[in-house]
Parts: sequence; structure tokens; C-alpha cells
Amino acid sequence: MSPRPSIDHIRRPQILAAAAEVIVERGVAGTRIADVAERCGVSPPALLYWFDSKEQLLAEALTVDDDRFYEELEARVDGAAAPGERMVALIETATESADDFALWMELWTWALRDADLRAARERFDARWRAAIEAIVIDGVATGEFGAADPAQAALAIAALIDGLSAQAALGDPEVTNPRLTETVLASAERLLGAELPAGAGGRASP
Amino acid sequence: MTDRESARERILEAACDLIAAEGIDDVRIARVAMRARASTALVHHYFSTREELLEQALLHSFEKVGEERFAATGGEAPDATAALAEAIEECLPSPGPMERDWVLWVELWLRAAREPDLRPFAASLYARYHDWLEEVLKRGIDSGEFTAPADLRALTDRTMALLDGLGLRALLHDPTMDIDAARAQVADFLAPQLGIDAAALLTQPA
Repeated sequence: MSPRPSIDHIRRPQILAAAAEVIVERGVAGTRIADVAERCGVSPPALLYWFDSKEQLLAEALTVDDDRFYEELEARVDGAAAPGERMVALIETATESADDFALWMELWTWALRDADLRAARERFDARWRAAIEAIVIDGVATGEFGAADPAQAALAIAALIDGLSAQAALGDPEVTNPRLTETVLASAERLLGAELPAGAGGRASP
Repeated sequence: MTDRESARERILEAACDLIAAEGIDDVRIARVAMRARASTALVHHYFSTREELLEQALLHSFEKVGEERFAATGGEAPDATAALAEAIEECLPSPGPMERDWVLWVELWLRAAREPDLRPFAASLYARYHDWLEEVLKRGIDSGEFTAPADLRALTDRTMALLDGLGLRALLHDPTMDIDAARAQVADFLAPQLGIDAAALLTQPA
């Protein structure tokens, strides 16, 4: 635990939102602490008092983004809903917006060379795959899904989403966000040996 | 190869090594020159800006992959299944030169996500990668070794996405999975869609 006094609960989200914006625009390498400070109207020394480095800013900004994702998912679908419905909500929530994808790519690249960010990536990924796996376990138990290995199916779904999101982020004209959602849903159906219910978007059959 | 070509190539190779080791944002012209045993003036003679050098270095790396690896893949394989097993191998970040290519690939994702100017270039590399993999699959469909999937283009895109998502985790030394696990996942994903046995894709090429 940090020996520092806890940051003003209003300031901290502001700083991290500013950090996320600046990093998406300029990349971690092109970001200076002073840029983030200026964006959120605090002095650089004040910002450095709470955050050691821009790597830490990246990790914490991603934590905010990640928490928001799970909140959005919870708001979207009741944890007691049928597994198929939960899986569709999870895939839709994960693929509908690519706005924050650049931030995740920063994490992947910096994790190649920074041990703290590598550990952070492992934590995010473990949480993400556990969320997918929990739904698969329920779906296999209720018989809604076929006999899939939950951990393996979760890994495949997570990997597909990352790979397809990269294709979309690189501006591949054939991979748009609706198409991305559809593609992951179709692949998940195959991996889970199940027909998933139509999602909120009223998906066309793949 | 003339001396002129080899100096340019040495500079590009040096740039690739440094990008892979330190990240694209930390690469300095002077260090590239030193590593290539060239003067900075010579580097500037071939590449007017640092950006141009880095972009050309990424292009050089992927062209080499295209020429040396993609072109040769499967040419001598006894059948399409062996050729596909070899192709899967070529797409995963095994230790060695493949690891360097992979780091450059991830650097390109990040850069292209941030800089729209680079996206057509990234998209053209993806298209080349796609065509190559689709050709490997088509060989087996044409010979009757694979059952034809409903949509070969889509299957190719999904396979690439899965390879990228799994390869990224292996590259980052994810503690829950390695290259062997990635290979097994891809085999399990593809085999049923091609009507072949997953084990046949796991046989190590001699």
C-alpha cells in the first residue's frame, strides 16, 4: 500500500481520464507527465506526488477502463440470466466500442519491456478470461452449451476478440465493429456448440 | 547484391533489431547508424526522416517474412495438412527470429492504431498475410484433403485473429499458456471446420 494520503476522490478520476486521453493521442512514449497535468489542471509535482510514472498512469487508466467495462456489463445483463444471454451481452459489450483499444495496445507493447505492465496485463487478462469462463461453466452445467472445456473456450474467445479488434483498429475496411461483433458471436457458437440468442442489436445470422 | 543495396539493407536490419529490443519510440538514428556500421549521413542519404526509416524498417521486415517464409511455406510439404501445420508454425512467435518479427508486428499495430497514415500500409500487409493463409487452406480444399468451409475468407480471417490473439499472449510469456497451447488451440479450432483430425496439425514438421 502506498504511504501517500489517499487522493481526492474527484481529482483521481479526472487525472486518469486526462491520462487516457493524452496517451491515446500521443502514445505512452510521446506523453509527458506535464501534458497530463496540463490537461487536468493540476501541477506536474502534484501529479507526480500520486503517480510515479507514465507507465503507472497507463496501468491505472486501464484499471478504470476495465472496471467500467464490468459495470457496463452488469448493467446490461443480470448475472442470473441464462448463460447464452450473458455470453451475447459480454461479446457485444467487448466488441461494440473500439475507442479504448489504442490504450490496450499501448499496454501490450509496453508489456514487452516493462515488468510491472506485464504483470498488469496478466491481471487484466486473468479477470477477463475468468469472466468468460464462468459463463461457459454455467452454460455447460445447464446443458445450454455443448461439452466445451471452459478454460480453453474462454482463451479462444478472448484471443479471437483481441485479434479481430486489432484488424478493426488497423482500419481493415472488411472488419467494422458490427461485423466484428457478428464474427465473434458466430465463432463463439462454434466453440461452445450452441446457438446463442439474438442480442440487443438484433443480429443478422452470420 | 550491390554495395549500395547492402548498405541500405544493413541499416534497415539494424533498425529492426533496435525497434524489437527497445521499442519504436526509443530508436535513434545515431544508434541505428552505429549498429549498421554506417555514418548518420549515410542513413540520412537513404532515409530523409526518422519516421521514414522506421516505416521502411517495418516494411522491410514484413517483406522478408513474405519472401523467405510465406513463399517457401508448404512448398515441400507432402500434403496440404502438413503445409497447414507448417503455416501455423510460421505464424506463432517461437523463440528466435520469429520473436523479433512478432515484436515488430505488435509495434506496427500500435503505431497504425495511432496514425491513420500508416493504416493503408498495415492493411496491405494484413491482406498479403490473409492471401497467403487462404492459399494454404485452398490447396487442401482443391485436393479434397479438407472439406470446404462455408466461407473460406471468413475462416481465414478468424484463424488469423486467433493466431494473433494467442501469439500475443505467448510472446508476452503469459504464465497460463505457451506456444504449444497456442498451436493446440488453433488445431482444435481449424480441424473440425476442415474435416481433419486435430492431431494431424500438431505433428512437428521434420
